[in-house]
Amino acid sequence: MKSKISIYEIAYKNLLRKKTRTLLTILGIGLSAWVLTSLFGFNQGYESALNKDIDNMGFQVLLTAKGCPYEAATLMLKGGTGLRYMNEAVFADILKNKEVEKITPMLMQAVFDPNKGESGGLNAYLGIDPATYPAMKPFLKFTQGAWFTKPQSHEAVLGYEAAELEQREVGDKILIPEKNIEYTVSGILTRSGTQDDGTIFVPIRTLQKDFKQEEKVTAVGIKVWKDADITGLENKLYELPDVQVVSMSQVKSTIMSLVSTAKVMVFSIALIAILIAMLGVVNTILMSVFERFQEIGIIKSMGAMPQDVFRMIWTETIILCTLGGAVGIGFSFALARVTDLLIRRLLPYTPTGSLVIVNGKLALATLGIVIVIGLLAGIYPAWRASRVRPLEAIRSEGE
Amino acid sequence: MTITNRSGRALVPALFLILAVVLPPLWAAVGCELNDPDRDVKRLFPESTSYQTLYVSIARQGGDPLLKKIEGRLGDSFKGLFETADVPYTMYQIFKGTDLIGYIHGVNQKGQYGGIQVFLALDLEGRIRAFYIQKLTNQSAKLLRDPAFGKQFVGLTLPDFDDYDPAAGRAEPGSRIAAIQNPAPGAESDFKAALRGAKKNLILCDVFLFGGKFVK
Repeated sequence: MKSKISIYEIAYKNLLRKKTRTLLTILGIGLSAWVLTSLFGFNQGYESALNKDIDNMGFQVLLTAKGCPYEAATLMLKGGTGLRYMNEAVFADILKNKEVEKITPMLMQAVFDPNKGESGGLNAYLGIDPATYPAMKPFLKFTQGAWFTKPQSHEAVLGYEAAELEQREVGDKILIPEKNIEYTVSGILTRSGTQDDGTIFVPIRTLQKDFKQEEKVTAVGIKVWKDADITGLENKLYELPDVQVVSMSQVKSTIMSLVSTAKVMVFSIALIAILIAMLGVVNTILMSVFERFQEIGIIKSMGAMPQDVFRMIWTETIILCTLGGAVGIGFSFALARVTDLLIRRLLPYTPTGSLVIVNGKLALATLGIVIVIGLLAGIYPAWRASRVRPLEAIRSEGE
Repeated sequence: MTITNRSGRALVPALFLILAVVLPPLWAAVGCELNDPDRDVKRLFPESTSYQTLYVSIARQGGDPLLKKIEGRLGDSFKGLFETADVPYTMYQIFKGTDLIGYIHGVNQKGQYGGIQVFLALDLEGRIRAFYIQKLTNQSAKLLRDPAFGKQFVGLTLPDFDDYDPAAGRAEPGSRIAAIQNPAPGAESDFKAALRGAKKNLILCDVFLFGGKFVK
């Protein structure tokens, strides 16, 4: 029985005739597809990591009583004095604003310890609400133990450096010498590189009671909704009596502008990668068409129509691009972690979390883009091939 | 394993590159330093004119085998999260003119309510010339930080602590260590911690400053 050879079969066999060139072309397309997938993955991952970092900042606005130091370091510089208080009634005023997602109250207290160093020193304690503070700072991890067992317990969580200085572990006691009050250590935080490392956290209700500051707070951390107008909220908070607003919105806007810059940069590089891939495909297929000028003439003389030749060349392009795209996507999945680490080394600031997120959706999108690029890049060589005149082509052998 | 082929040779720098990228920054443990070295050195060695600091650690100088030897001499193991081989020790070498006249060294010791910082000033023979608790949290801290308590340690050397068992907090009856009086009976555990700190301090000074001259 006589079998009929399809145009697709010819296309496939043509590619196999020049194995090295086909392989190199697939590799070239693969590299472009890899760059493309990694760039899109980076764009996706970077934005999501930055958003996570913003989220991890906990609160973006800090409200304190006017003139009150809001960091333990400042409090120490002031010799433990200068604490100002707000009444808990201020919570209702803050929560009235639609920009506010949640709040967390804090109470800072400092105690002089005459037996710390030659001439004594200060110990600072931060009273926090166990119901809201840990949820706002999910990045705080424990080396040992956990947060307090009860909201009003006499327990303390120590930042890593505070624990190291005091040689404390879970179950050990700490003492507020001036007041002769003991706390049991319930947790030691992992080193975070922030001022939390040197902080001693205790339940706010306990601290309020022990220092006779019931219903008083020194600061309120305010977490705003993701797309809320922080500046607008700050202006409203300034209207509250005797408070000061410590804003971290500048940090957020800087981060968001970083995201925009990264997007422009990523898409510019992606465009270049697409152009390079496209030119590579055009070059390879065109070269193949010129080499097979005579052969195409013979195919046509045997009855192949121009659209058959067009389809044959286009098919070759699609096969190359599909295989190259698949190789590139494979690379991007396999090397996502290495790409992530390299980007971290290259960029001066990178957020925590995965910087390159490559998933199935992104892989399919990239494959689609690569195939579309192949189809576009294949038009001209396929058109040139379909225009070959059989007699001219066959005659060209002796020329 | 010997890598002989060409692709294998290429693997070595690639592995270094990957390791350099992958390895996270390492945080160092915190040691025990004088709060105000200029003032404290002058107070402990009034005749001194200058000092130099020397940074050492068990991990760098001898690792686990050294740690085991030190624990053996101490008669107690290093315990907990913070008493580890990588703790950096700051040793102060004290000079009068160009002459070395002594050393100051402090260690962190776990106490009942917090870290106790036990400092010793030693002469060139390894004899204690001053005992100083820089930091101690306890209701009776004042008594243990009193110079009168520190004076009981003056003149002692590491061999005097040989029979002191810090794990049990027991001194050989009739020994010079047994003669040291606790001025704060309510702070017995911190008193024992101070003795353990002093013995550990002397052992570390022997290892890092005196070349093990007191090893039995």
